Amino acid sequence: MSWYSDLPQFYQNQIREMGLDDAGMTRRRLLKSAGAAAGVAAMSGLTFGKPARAAGQMSYMCWEGYNDPRIIDPFKAANDVDIAFDLIVDSPGGFAKLQAGASREVDLVSSDMPWVTRMGPAGLAMELNPDDYADVYATFYDQFKPPFEPLISDGKTIGVATRWGWVGGCINTDITDPDTWRSYDPVFDAKNKDKICVMDWGDWPILPMALHAGIDPYQELDAAQLEEIRKVLRAMFKNTRTLVADLTQAQKGLLDGSLLGCIGAGSYLTSAVRKQGHKNIIATVPDPKNGLKQGIIWVEATAIVKETDQPELAQKLLKHVVSKDAGHVLSLLDTTCNVVTNKAVEELYSDEEKSILQTDYMWHAWDNSQMHRIAPQIDEMLAIWQEELAAAQ
Amino acid sequence: MSGEIDRSWRDPELLAKALPSVILQTGFFLAPLLMTMALTFQRTKNFQLTWTWSLETWTDIFTKPHYWTILGHTLFMAITCVVLCLLIAFPVAYALATRLRAYQNHVKVLITFAFLTDATLKTFGWVLFLDKNGAANYIARLTGFEGDAVNILFTDWATMLGMVYNLLSFAIFTIYLSIDAIDRSLILAAYDAGASKFRAFWEVTLPLARPGIWAASVLIFLLAVGVFLEPKVLGGGKSPMSAELIRQTFETRVNWPLGAALTLVLMVVAVFIVLLFNRIYSLKRHMGPI
Amino acid sequence: MAGNILEIRDLRKNFGAYQALKGVSLDVAQGEFIALVGPSGCGKTTLLKHIAGFEEPNSGSIAIDGQQMLGVPAAARPTSMVFQKLALFPHMTVADNIGFPLKLRKVDAATIAKRVMAMIELMQLKPEYLSRFPRQLSGGEQQRVALARSMISEPKLLLLDEPLSALDVKLKKVLQAELKRLHRSVGVTFVHVTHDLEEAIMLADRICVMRAGEILQMGGPNDIYYRPADSFVAGFIGDTNLIPVEIAENNASGAMLRAPGLHATDPRVPAGFVAADLGTGPALLMVRPELMSPLVPGESADFSIEVTITEVFCKGGTVQFRSIMADGAPVIFELPGASRQPADIGDKVRLGWPKRDIYVFREKVAA
Repeated sequence: MSWYSDLPQFYQNQIREMGLDDAGMTRRRLLKSAGAAAGVAAMSGLTFGKPARAAGQMSYMCWEGYNDPRIIDPFKAANDVDIAFDLIVDSPGGFAKLQAGASREVDLVSSDMPWVTRMGPAGLAMELNPDDYADVYATFYDQFKPPFEPLISDGKTIGVATRWGWVGGCINTDITDPDTWRSYDPVFDAKNKDKICVMDWGDWPILPMALHAGIDPYQELDAAQLEEIRKVLRAMFKNTRTLVADLTQAQKGLLDGSLLGCIGAGSYLTSAVRKQGHKNIIATVPDPKNGLKQGIIWVEATAIVKETDQPELAQKLLKHVVSKDAGHVLSLLDTTCNVVTNKAVEELYSDEEKSILQTDYMWHAWDNSQMHRIAPQIDEMLAIWQEELAAAQ
Repeated sequence: MSGEIDRSWRDPELLAKALPSVILQTGFFLAPLLMTMALTFQRTKNFQLTWTWSLETWTDIFTKPHYWTILGHTLFMAITCVVLCLLIAFPVAYALATRLRAYQNHVKVLITFAFLTDATLKTFGWVLFLDKNGAANYIARLTGFEGDAVNILFTDWATMLGMVYNLLSFAIFTIYLSIDAIDRSLILAAYDAGASKFRAFWEVTLPLARPGIWAASVLIFLLAVGVFLEPKVLGGGKSPMSAELIRQTFETRVNWPLGAALTLVLMVVAVFIVLLFNRIYSLKRHMGPI
Repeated sequence: MAGNILEIRDLRKNFGAYQALKGVSLDVAQGEFIALVGPSGCGKTTLLKHIAGFEEPNSGSIAIDGQQMLGVPAAARPTSMVFQKLALFPHMTVADNIGFPLKLRKVDAATIAKRVMAMIELMQLKPEYLSRFPRQLSGGEQQRVALARSMISEPKLLLLDEPLSALDVKLKKVLQAELKRLHRSVGVTFVHVTHDLEEAIMLADRICVMRAGEILQMGGPNDIYYRPADSFVAGFIGDTNLIPVEIAENNASGAMLRAPGLHATDPRVPAGFVAADLGTGPALLMVRPELMSPLVPGESADFSIEVTITEVFCKGGTVQFRSIMADGAPVIFELPGASRQPADIGDKVRLGWPKRDIYVFREKVAA
């Protein structure tokens, strides 16, 4: 017997397929998520009031993977708590949802670092005292130990970094010599027409192109620089075969050779295919161009929501997520594999797992990359992107 | 027919009965629409909505041609889709209603299954079919073509293929119902009056199936205008259509005012086109009841 | 058979294992009004469809005006059909409906308009109906439009497939008269299918009674009414009395009847009142109810029986009496309503009728 056993068979199958049963969904929790939905409605000016919450219940907004039962089940058992998940598919969307009222339901958030950092000024995150986390920071890579500047807003620490990776060029070494991708030039090479894949993930494909044009997109830009970005995007679209939002489509294209290179993504895209044994698919970072680093480092971080009614439990869960065992699981999921911030996890990696994660390359990538933040003029850049995309027809 | 409608408008009892439905319609259709409209006058900065009344979004829409390029492309694709769906669906529906009566129950079940199958599934199925190493190229190679002979994936052709494929069953069903409703003796009467098979089809079947063809056209057009899966998955996202632009604006750019404004523009243009066609249709149509 | 507009020879049609027509032969003279009558499923509509060209037979032949019609499509046959459901084109005006056959024959618009107008006058329709649509007309008006459309192309044969069956009784009577008038005035040959023998008797010059894919009897209205081929035809219209009799002797001069309870001044019936193929043995004596009359005591008639009245119905113009004979056989008789009522329920009455009002036939003609 389970919470859904009295539903029609069709829905039971659906629930099993979606893995909702594994996540330990309960009917109570279902009601709780209904409460969250009501929270969204609150943004339209209607206030339903805070729905009553059962004790021993938590809500976790995160990317898929953080909800892996191998991570969550031990925590649930140890703390006698149920956890409901609010899976996000894009960071701005998750942030918008929090702002729209989901912050009253959610206890913990794991999202892209810029968006986690933004929770500070937006009044959504609880300030962390790094001293409280000394135990977890102890085994972190030095790069992520406090003070970790990108996660500090107004002098306050907003969250703890969890998982990271790099964005550059994704290629198939059976087809392409990695050395030809020491810059983004192949993206614009006329002989690669209809061979380039661009990830349709908001700002991600724009930023590397701006860097290639010699512009640091994380600075305030003038009209002339924006015009340069327009030009480089226009040139990029000339060779673009497809814009994809779906990882598997890009992975498949790289494998069968219909796509020569993918931009706007990196280790996040290639690692799952490497885990399946295709070590010929790699994520590279181009060399610095005129002193401007061309790669981008993305970091995911976890923060506690200010309005949580269970701060201790939330803190416990945060520490659990970055722990050695949880970190091992988190870095080697089926959908994507990425290195984590806890150095201790390295001890658990087999050689095969190190190869999957390209650990021998990761600090090279780090050294040749910008740290990802929210670009100040991202609105303008996205507008230019859309205009050029429409014109590219 | 028209007389009955006129009378119903003045029947207070009937109006009273319609009231709950009118209130629901207002509540669930008009109110969100008004909110959408209000949203278009707001601004957004750094992925955040700020409530300041401004005409910025509308100025943007009316000064940047690329929104209209995408809208134009969307309408072109939608109208092409309508034409293709009608060209394919009419013979199929006609055959179903006249020639294949013995099998029509089986075919109807199959079409219903096509209806029920998730469009996402079917669309990704086409990707696998049209892929470099997909079934289409496999067959092409077997029949002696070199390399990837079928190379339409990530083009407008693939988008159109997916759209027609996903929307065709709506057209077949709608037209089938209208042809099936035609009294067989009308066709016999045409033969009896001296009409050839083609003439009977042209003078009787086609005009009487017109309401069905018209309904299918409107249905397909409105569905095609709202298509986003096919251009994204089969078209490779390179030539987005309006619905995808709206989705991107809302989700990727988190620009709600712009998304809301684009939604309204698309709605108004689509409704305008339907009304325009409706006018042409009713002018062409005889004034009598059908 | 010169002068025959329609000659059908041994027409057979099977739908799977079902024999719809079992060898039908029929001749129709130019200008005749023929009615095909029978219960549903008798093959009358199937026969009509064969004449119109909507069905092709398995064997047999159809000739119209001397031309063989097998393989000739409906569109090319000199026939025109008025459909049961009229089949007026709902998307065309009355004028377009009526003019449709001429339009198909590429007649010029002015001529079409003129001939449509002539049809409108012939059908006594109002000219303002021309621009209306069929649904805006009454049932009777639609009927006239359908007739006009069928007749405008001046067919050699007008085929009517129960066109009056959906109308109410009053309108039916009006249109029956109309059909008769039309037939007389245009001189076209009419083949009229109906399941209503009364209608057939009113309208047709000759009636063809069908059953189970065969022609049972062919003849004028009087023949069908007074000289039915068997009890099936006799029972097909109105009420009738069929008294079982025994034929002891049957030759050229007549037949000798015998039956319990039947009194006859002379039991010999002349040959004209006996079915031609009737030999000796059991048979039926038919007397129509309106031809029987009560006898006063002492009065005698050629034939007489004694009955007990069981029920009295007033039918307006006539009064109908239901009664039984001594052996329980039912007898119906009718008297003019104005006449003195001879008896009441339970009364015994003697009924008599003259020899010229009877017909003797076998119970059922062998199939």
